[in-house]
Amino acid sequence: MATDTSGRLDGRDDTGAYAGLGLADPMRLLRGVAGVVGFLVLWYLVSLTQPAYVLPSPAAVGARFIEEFASGTMTAALASSVRHWLPGTVVGTGLGVGAGVAFSWSGFLDDLTAPLVRTLRPVPPLALIGFAIAWFGINDAGAAFIIAVGAFWINFYAAYGAVEGVSEDLIDVGRTLGIRGDLDMVRSVVLPAALPGITIGIRTGLGRCWMLVVAAEIFGVPGVGREILRASNNLLVDKVIAYILVLSLLYLLVDVAFRAIQRRVLTWQA
Amino acid sequence: MAGVNGEPAAVSADDDPGVVVDRVGKTYDGDGDPVRALDDVSFSVQEGEFVCLVGPSGCGKTTLFRVIAGLADATDGEVRLGGTPVTGPTTDMGVVFQEYHLFPWLTVEENVGFGLERSDPSGGAAERAARVDEMLDLVGLTEFRDSYPKSLSGGMKQRVAIARALAVDPHLLLMDEPFGAVDAQTREMLQRELLDVWASTGKTVLFVTHDVAEAVTLADRIVVMAAEPGRVREVVDVDVDRPRERGDPAFGEHVARVRELIGARP
Repeated sequence: MATDTSGRLDGRDDTGAYAGLGLADPMRLLRGVAGVVGFLVLWYLVSLTQPAYVLPSPAAVGARFIEEFASGTMTAALASSVRHWLPGTVVGTGLGVGAGVAFSWSGFLDDLTAPLVRTLRPVPPLALIGFAIAWFGINDAGAAFIIAVGAFWINFYAAYGAVEGVSEDLIDVGRTLGIRGDLDMVRSVVLPAALPGITIGIRTGLGRCWMLVVAAEIFGVPGVGREILRASNNLLVDKVIAYILVLSLLYLLVDVAFRAIQRRVLTWQA
Repeated sequence: MAGVNGEPAAVSADDDPGVVVDRVGKTYDGDGDPVRALDDVSFSVQEGEFVCLVGPSGCGKTTLFRVIAGLADATDGEVRLGGTPVTGPTTDMGVVFQEYHLFPWLTVEENVGFGLERSDPSGGAAERAARVDEMLDLVGLTEFRDSYPKSLSGGMKQRVAIARALAVDPHLLLMDEPFGAVDAQTREMLQRELLDVWASTGKTVLFVTHDVAEAVTLADRIVVMAAEPGRVREVVDVDVDRPRERGDPAFGEHVARVRELIGARP
């Protein structure tokens, strides 16, 4: 599991094609593999002393993983999770970035919304499950709503801060070069200048949304999270771990893909 | 509005084609205590003239620069460019800042072309591209056209900034300590290049600096400012033939004269 989620701001020279997974540097790769193997060995040793409902062995988890996959249960759960993860993330991210940029740029909108924002911000997405059920029902839309709320705030604050941090001097330059009007300024100067900060928000949000998938499925929407909760209730710990692994792998996949896009879009960054 | 096709922009005969700074004053509202940053500043720059603005720190050079650029409002008086009062930033003025302020997400070529689309939306893409080529050639950066600013040296960045400011063919090139952030050697090279650009384009240049030798190297006339409140102390003509050598006695005399004016009590 790659734990490097710090983006390009970490100053690490990771411009290689597989840098997201640390494959560019053989020593790093070797250490990573050693870490995983060491962890598995430790896990196996501890599992020998415990009953399966406390800690199953890695082999048992692997067997369960294959079984769930072969029976199609896992694929179905995954497909269901993606059905609310994707729209929830896309809508929440889009609205969050849009509102963050707009409220940060426009003093009027900022004044107008500041009290509301401060009131709504501390509400955890899970506290809105009642609304999700009432407004959308126990379905993908309801779960997507919860996920969207989580994505919204992360992206709202990232975009808000990024726009706030745009250099006044660049805005002055834009004005001297003929930019007139907010729309042109935001499109031509503010957005590109704020893009590094905005993409950090999007990336953080992508991870957070996978966590919210589990939470959003508490109220009965099928998916990976639902499988984990059910398995927990039945003390099927091997199944719990198998599905956690699926989530991790999915997150890793999305994160690596996003970083590749991020690097492409931000090639100009020092 | 200046054309972008390289022709000198038409100015009717009764207009003053240069820059007139007319009794400009600027007061900042401090905490209860208003601060007079500029007081009754008047001078003019003739068309095609190269004028430097020097003064001690705190004399309001940067404030005056921002007022002339239309980035800040004057409390009193006005600035006229070609007879028209400056009420905001205009593409009739090419502005160059000390810290370059290139758009880091745009290539050299895109930075230079940034103002063209807005100043002359009717012009074709081919025409704009030709103008960008011309500007890149002028500052000698044609081979770096696809580079991003991050890979350029300070001197190269400032060349891009100058090309970007000149691309829209402004009447006035307004520069705020543009060579303040580069090393001495690069600075001298950029000074020579700027004089070449000035000679080949015939632009009116107003150049703010705190470096007296730089002002004497470049300017036809030097506006010397005094501080607290910022005001014009004297305007010095630089009667030294170009190219100017620092070893030339006349050069030294001008430097001494301007230094004395800056240091002298009112």
